[in-house]
Order: sequence, then structure tokens, then C-alpha cells
Amino acid sequence: MFGYVQPQKSELLVREFEEYRGIYCALCRRLGKDYGFPARFFLNYDSTFFVVLLLSLSGECPRFAKGRCVVNPLKRCVFCEGSDQELGIAAALTVILSYYKLKDNISDSAMRKRLAYFLLLPIVSHARRHAAERYPELDKSAGRMMKRQTEIEHSEFFGIDRCAEPTADMVADILEMPVQEIFGRGSPEDRVSRQFGYYLGRWIYLIDAADDLEDDIRSGSFNPFRIKFSLNSKSTPEDIQNARGYAREVLNATMARMTAAANLIDFQNCLGGIVQNVIFKGLPEMQKDRLHEKERRNVRPL
Amino acid sequence: MSDPYRVLGVSPNATDADVKAAYHKLAKKYHPDNYADSPLADLASEKMKEINEAYDEIVKQRKGRTSSPPYGSYGTGSYSTGTGNSDYMDVRELIMQGRIVDAEQILDGVPSDRRNAEWYFLKGNILYRRGWLEEAFADFTRACQMDPTNAEYRAAYTQATNQRRGMYGGYGPSPRQTGWCDGCDVCTTLCAANLCCDCFSGISPCC
Repeated sequence: MFGYVQPQKSELLVREFEEYRGIYCALCRRLGKDYGFPARFFLNYDSTFFVVLLLSLSGECPRFAKGRCVVNPLKRCVFCEGSDQELGIAAALTVILSYYKLKDNISDSAMRKRLAYFLLLPIVSHARRHAAERYPELDKSAGRMMKRQTEIEHSEFFGIDRCAEPTADMVADILEMPVQEIFGRGSPEDRVSRQFGYYLGRWIYLIDAADDLEDDIRSGSFNPFRIKFSLNSKSTPEDIQNARGYAREVLNATMARMTAAANLIDFQNCLGGIVQNVIFKGLPEMQKDRLHEKERRNVRPL
Repeated sequence: MSDPYRVLGVSPNATDADVKAAYHKLAKKYHPDNYADSPLADLASEKMKEINEAYDEIVKQRKGRTSSPPYGSYGTGSYSTGTGNSDYMDVRELIMQGRIVDAEQILDGVPSDRRNAEWYFLKGNILYRRGWLEEAFADFTRACQMDPTNAEYRAAYTQATNQRRGMYGGYGPSPRQTGWCDGCDVCTTLCAANLCCDCFSGISPCC
């Protein structure tokens, strides 16, 4: 579920790359400050994108300062300064989502892995408890997502749209809170970001499912594409290929709606370029990598 | 009115051709087709209006006379405006007003043996607005199968198909301007095309 929302590095300006790095490092620092050193390991690109997006809407361009990396003190880096609110909410989000992801892993994995995850649990739940105190709505919407997802996985299969909806709604909710705070409920920005969030969440769910398809076939875990195409360990590579081709179509359709919403976002500052890079280049690139490059790596030439 | 050059994102020194190109690009981006059945259609059409006005203004300033933009008709209408003889006028009305839940309730009340092509089209329309793109696509397909001559259903189906092919974002076989597949070498391009088209049987991949 993590790591799919990234910029396409080669297409970023050098300035934008440094700003992105600066925000990434600042979020890492904030995680450490708010939730203790181990929380830094939950740092991910998706939460970084969340900060960039919020900052790109909020008007002022953040300031950047030079510093040293805490994890690797030999490395000099740039930190984004200020932006307390955005970093705070993103740090909480990181911790909360990591917690739910871990819970999900524990219920899904085989015995040996499950034990390893179990040992991690106390650290994560401690951090999550703090985060949930600060941002109860975030925790509530993530918890609701997990509950709905579990229900869907344990009931009859009603199609891919339904499977993707809990994640889609969750991302829409997460974006809604800070955007409503800035622009007000029912404002054009609120409506656009809700739509954008919905399709971004849907895209994340779908690419995660498409990416895990082979593993899920092997382990028999829940995967909407596996069920839709009735794939099992005896399925031929062509069957899997078919399912992937279908996944590509679903992802493209989702991207079309997402970019339509993104085109209506009014960016207020220098960070808009990074957001646009992620949406218009990073996500398609990720799709290409996970569905096509991987395909090429796994399929032997005829 | 705000600075028309800023609206189009060009400098006041830009040539006429540049202004026109910028206008075309933006008009394509906010074209009503991209927002057909989207809850954001009103925002897009506002944007479209702004762009049309800005272009008009620039043309007026530069030539000292009024001229309508080449896409004068942009900004109004989409295929969901309804047909003359509809069995579901009430449902269409509700959809236009954005009362999706009510519209769906009426549709769901129709017994399954009385559901015609229009029923599937409208149901698809509702699902599409909600973001249930897969079921919407299945319903549009069904509507087209039941009534292959209807232009309205066909338009919805074609739009959804184009989106799935990656014409509006994502990754697909049709080349776009941005550099994701600008043919670094012929070999890779062929390979990509080969993979995208699912045409393994014909040519074997060369790398």
C-alpha cells in the first residue's frame, strides 16, 4: 500500500528535487520528534506527497535550511522549515497508517512472518495511540477503512469497484480535513480535492492489488483481480497476462478521472510543479514499472 | 477581469501563434468531454469560460476587433443532456440536479425484466459519477449492445473506452507528447507497443 505515489525523478527540476528532499527530511525529523526515533522508519513517499500537496495549496512557499541527517550524520541535507501544521498531520498519518498496515500484515501472513510483525506491534501501537489522541478523525477514518475492507474480503465478491471503495473513501477523507480547514466546507477546492482523493485512493488500492497479484495467487490471499479472473496456482502465464491487461485498463480509467480533478486544482506556490510531476508523470511511470516492466522481467521471450 | 495573459499562462510578448497554442492546450484540458458526468463539470466549465474570455480579450487587444475563439462552442453541453423521447425523464432530471441517490432509487425499483438500454445507460451514468468505473463501463457496454444505434450511449461507451486505453492519463499504447515513451530507441518502443497491444502471438519481442 505504501510507496506507489512518487515523483518521476528524472523529470523534476533540480530545485524541485531539493524541495522534495527537504520536505521528506523534515517529515522524517518530525516523526522522530513527535513519536520517537523508531517512528522514523515508517517514513514513506506517500506521506511526503501528502505534505507537498497540502503545502502547494496553502499559499506560502516554505523556507528551507541546511542541516545534517540524523540517521546518517555524514550526510548534509536541506530541511523544510516551518509548515508545522502540515508536517504534524502527515506524521500522524504515517504512524496511523503504518499501524493499520501492520495489523493487516499480522492477520494475513504466514506464522513466521507473523511473529516478526508481532514483535514490532508494541512500538507502533504506542506511537499510534499518541497520533490518534492528536488527530482522532484520522484514526477514525483509517479504522473505518480497515473494518470495511475486512468485511468486503469476507463476504461475497461484488466487483472491483466495491473492493477499492474503502481505500478511496479514506484518502478522500484524509484530504478533506485539512482542505476544509483552509478553504471551507463545500468550497470548489473542497469538492475538487474530495474527487481527487477518491480516485487517488482507488488508484493506490488497484495498483497494490495488481502488483501483488502473483504473490496472492501463490498464497491464496484475497485479491480482487485473482477472484475476478478465477486465477489459481494452475493458471497459465497468459491468464495472468489477461488479468494484468485488465488491471491496466482499470488503472487508466481511474487516472483519467484523477487528472480531470487535478487539472482544476489551483496551486498557490512553487510546489505545484512537484504535485503535477507526481500525478502526470510519477503515477503513470509507476504503472508502467509495476505492470509492464515487471511483466517483461517475468515473461521469457518466445 | 484578471490579466488574460496570466489566465493563458503566456507572456504579453508571446507571438500570436504561441497564444493560440496555449489556448488550444488549455481548451483541450478543460473540454466538457473530459468532465462529462463528473460532479466537477461546473468548475471545469467556469474555467473554460475564463479561458475563452481571456483569448477573446487578447485577440481583441491585438487586432483591435472582436473575434470569436476557434472553439466558440466549448464550455456548454455534454452528451448527457437527454433525448426527446425518454422513458426515464424523471431520472434524467434528478441526475441533472445532482440528486444521484434519488435517481438510483427509482432505477433500482424497475424490475429486471423491464430494464431497457436507457436503463443501463442511466445506471452506468450514476455509477460513473460515484466513481464505480468498472460497473459503469459494464452498463454502458450493455446499453450499446441493446441499442447499437443510439449515439448517446455510444458516446458514453467510447469515452470510457478511450479512458481505459490511457488517452487521458495512465499508461497505454497510444503515444502522448510527454516523454514517457518518446522512442529512446526503436527496440524499446516496439517492445512496449508489443506488450501494450497484447499481441505476443505475432512478433516476438526483440529484447
